Amino acid sequence: MWRRSASFILDKHQNNKPMSLTPSIDSPPPLSASVADENPSPNHISAYYQTRAAHHEIVTSDWLEQAQAAVRRYPDQDSPVSEKPFSVIEEFNKWRQQPALAEAVAAIRALAAVIRASDGNTMMELEIELKKASDTLKAWDTTSISLTAGCDLFMRYVTRTSALEFEDFNSAKSRVLGRAEKFGEISNKARTIIAMLSQDFIFDGCTILVHGFSRVVFEVLKTAAQNKKLFRVLCTEGRPDKTGLLLAKELAKLDVPVKLLIDSAVAYCMDEVDMVFVGADGVVESGGVINMMGTYQIAIVAHSMNKPVYVAAESYKFARLYPLDQKDLEPALRPIDFGVAVPLKVEVERSARDYTPPQFLTLLFTDLGILTPSVVSDELIQLYS
Amino acid sequence: MPDVQSMVLEFVNKLRKRKIEGSQATARCTVELLRSVISHHRVPHHANQASALIDAVKAVGAQLVAANPVELAVGNVVRRVLHIIREEDLSLATAAVAGLDLLDASDDDEDVNGKGIGYPAMSAAVVAAAARSTLRPPSLQTLLEGTPESATVPYTSSSGADSESKTADKSSITRKLKHDVIEGVNQLIHEIAGCHEQIAEQAIEHIHQNEVILTLGSSRTVLEFLCAAKEKKRSFRVFVAEGAPRYQGHLLAKDLVARGLQTTVITDSAVFAMISRVNMVIIGAHAVMANGGVIGPVGVNMAALAAKKHAVPFVVLAGSHKLCPLYPHNPEVLLNELRSPSELLDFGEFSDCLDFGSGSGSPLLQVVNPTFDYVPPSLVSLFITDTGGHIPSYMYRLIADYYSADDLVM
Repeated sequence: MWRRSASFILDKHQNNKPMSLTPSIDSPPPLSASVADENPSPNHISAYYQTRAAHHEIVTSDWLEQAQAAVRRYPDQDSPVSEKPFSVIEEFNKWRQQPALAEAVAAIRALAAVIRASDGNTMMELEIELKKASDTLKAWDTTSISLTAGCDLFMRYVTRTSALEFEDFNSAKSRVLGRAEKFGEISNKARTIIAMLSQDFIFDGCTILVHGFSRVVFEVLKTAAQNKKLFRVLCTEGRPDKTGLLLAKELAKLDVPVKLLIDSAVAYCMDEVDMVFVGADGVVESGGVINMMGTYQIAIVAHSMNKPVYVAAESYKFARLYPLDQKDLEPALRPIDFGVAVPLKVEVERSARDYTPPQFLTLLFTDLGILTPSVVSDELIQLYS
Repeated sequence: MPDVQSMVLEFVNKLRKRKIEGSQATARCTVELLRSVISHHRVPHHANQASALIDAVKAVGAQLVAANPVELAVGNVVRRVLHIIREEDLSLATAAVAGLDLLDASDDDEDVNGKGIGYPAMSAAVVAAAARSTLRPPSLQTLLEGTPESATVPYTSSSGADSESKTADKSSITRKLKHDVIEGVNQLIHEIAGCHEQIAEQAIEHIHQNEVILTLGSSRTVLEFLCAAKEKKRSFRVFVAEGAPRYQGHLLAKDLVARGLQTTVITDSAVFAMISRVNMVIIGAHAVMANGGVIGPVGVNMAALAAKKHAVPFVVLAGSHKLCPLYPHNPEVLLNELRSPSELLDFGEFSDCLDFGSGSGSPLLQVVNPTFDYVPPSLVSLFITDTGGHIPSYMYRLIADYYSADDLVM
């Protein structure tokens, strides 16, 4: 009935000396043989994770705010270049570069651009064009779940809109366009709603374990800090993305006490943790989540020690996938730098994500409300029936 | 109007002083009070009168919930009534729009050019679909349609109909709404009153010949459930854990024996010892939360853990007025009530330890006497409600049927 006493708050008050950042141990300089000893046959590197990694290198919170402000301004200036043929993939990449924009929003913006550039005269033509563009996008990056889910959601919406009785094609087209433009706002609003819903679950004196740098989870923590809640965060290092370091930097700016752990130290620290918070790359039909590599491990440890695992995900990440085991997913590979050269004969597990089955998750915070994992399949059935 | 106000204040007082015991009695009194509030409320004769009713009920409801936040049945029932108002409003609106649409069609036939009389921008089907989406909780389907601003059905300004017939329609709608809502509320009262019979009807499917049932504390629902099985000529035995410190298990044992059931009384500490000899644990709940967690009398969490350890099915009986649409984030503290220490300790013997008057600060002996226990959904095997048997992960579905998303925060 009584929570563990938040001694770390007292410690913070007593020890007023500033936390000194231990200088990172210099890794041995990479050998010049880094070029030669690369693993043979590098498979297609997942573009999604490349982009996310690129985001991580440049993003800071002020950058995020600037980017958000830029996105909010109505994008009138993306009139297509006259001579080049319209390419949905280029459009998508252009939107995707903005770090504040969610993947699905970028996809929907790209599809909206397709609509604007189309010169069809009936809804059927428009639908066909959109289907082609959506398939192109999906084929270009088969590993990104939010991309697929976003495209499917938009296609579904367009199909249903055309079924409603509109007098003429132009009003229907403009309605669809308007909605697509609004989707960016919806995505941002979704993050705010999720942050609001999860506030009650963060109590004073709690310790939260976070894995990976999810923008939604960061919003949750930021809102809690702004509401003057006293809590501390344990971040996993998040190899090889260094997401933990980035998150720690951002949280330190908000004056939230942060502790970094290496990924292997999760079980060691689990007993002082009150809850685990993760984001999601995708939420699958069984109610499980696909997220950065390491989430499954943390969920198993948390479950065995009776700690709740909360997932914060927007509803457009729900996907019609039903993975039965880890290998059922489209492999999303990313390069891993060990700091030293890896001999040719040695294989490296380079998958970037794993699947956490629903029995290890406690609750999902989405913009549709707080859901238990079993509700997800219901929502998907309603959408696709 | 002032009469209703005094009724509300009186009821709020009763709730605050915990004079009403039991969630069924509380739920009934609350619904009857809300029925009086609705029937006495003077409704404005223009479009958005459903929202006027909703605001009135919400205002009263907020007072009632604040008076006794631990009694979740109050909040549940207020939200049920709000949902009824929204539903009736919606069904009337779709009927009205369909009616107006027909009028428009006939007008159009007469006027060839169609000037001056426009037809509504969207057909009745679209309006109904939009209105239905306001009633359902937000879902992926409505995500791209955007959230409508008003909580009630927007009355589209269909200017095609004749103005006189329009007002005539609207006043009949006014009267009809209140009437329908009161009918719905009466049905709700009937449902609350009849929940025991509905649940007891299912007893025969779950209790078999020569079984041993364990229960804890005293619950009228459990009593009716067991007696219904007895009446259908099943012979079984009941173990009753006494449920310290109120010892209501003793009362239940007396009632069971009076109805001819073989009963054994055990202490709460003996539950773990006896659980391996038991076929099923049946408990009455105080409230059921949206994630499938159960708020029950203190001691049920222990019984649930014992049952899980020995793979004994743990069955919870709950009437529909006990289903709460909220998710518990700190139920052991926030949804609990601490009662007087006198139930545990005799003040006479312990007067020196518990004495606050000596002025030397807080005494070393503290007594905690919680009323309720929280059982997480993973420990519950089955919920039996008046609509049938369900597993814990299904409870959100029932809740979505009974409540609207807009009413969750009052």
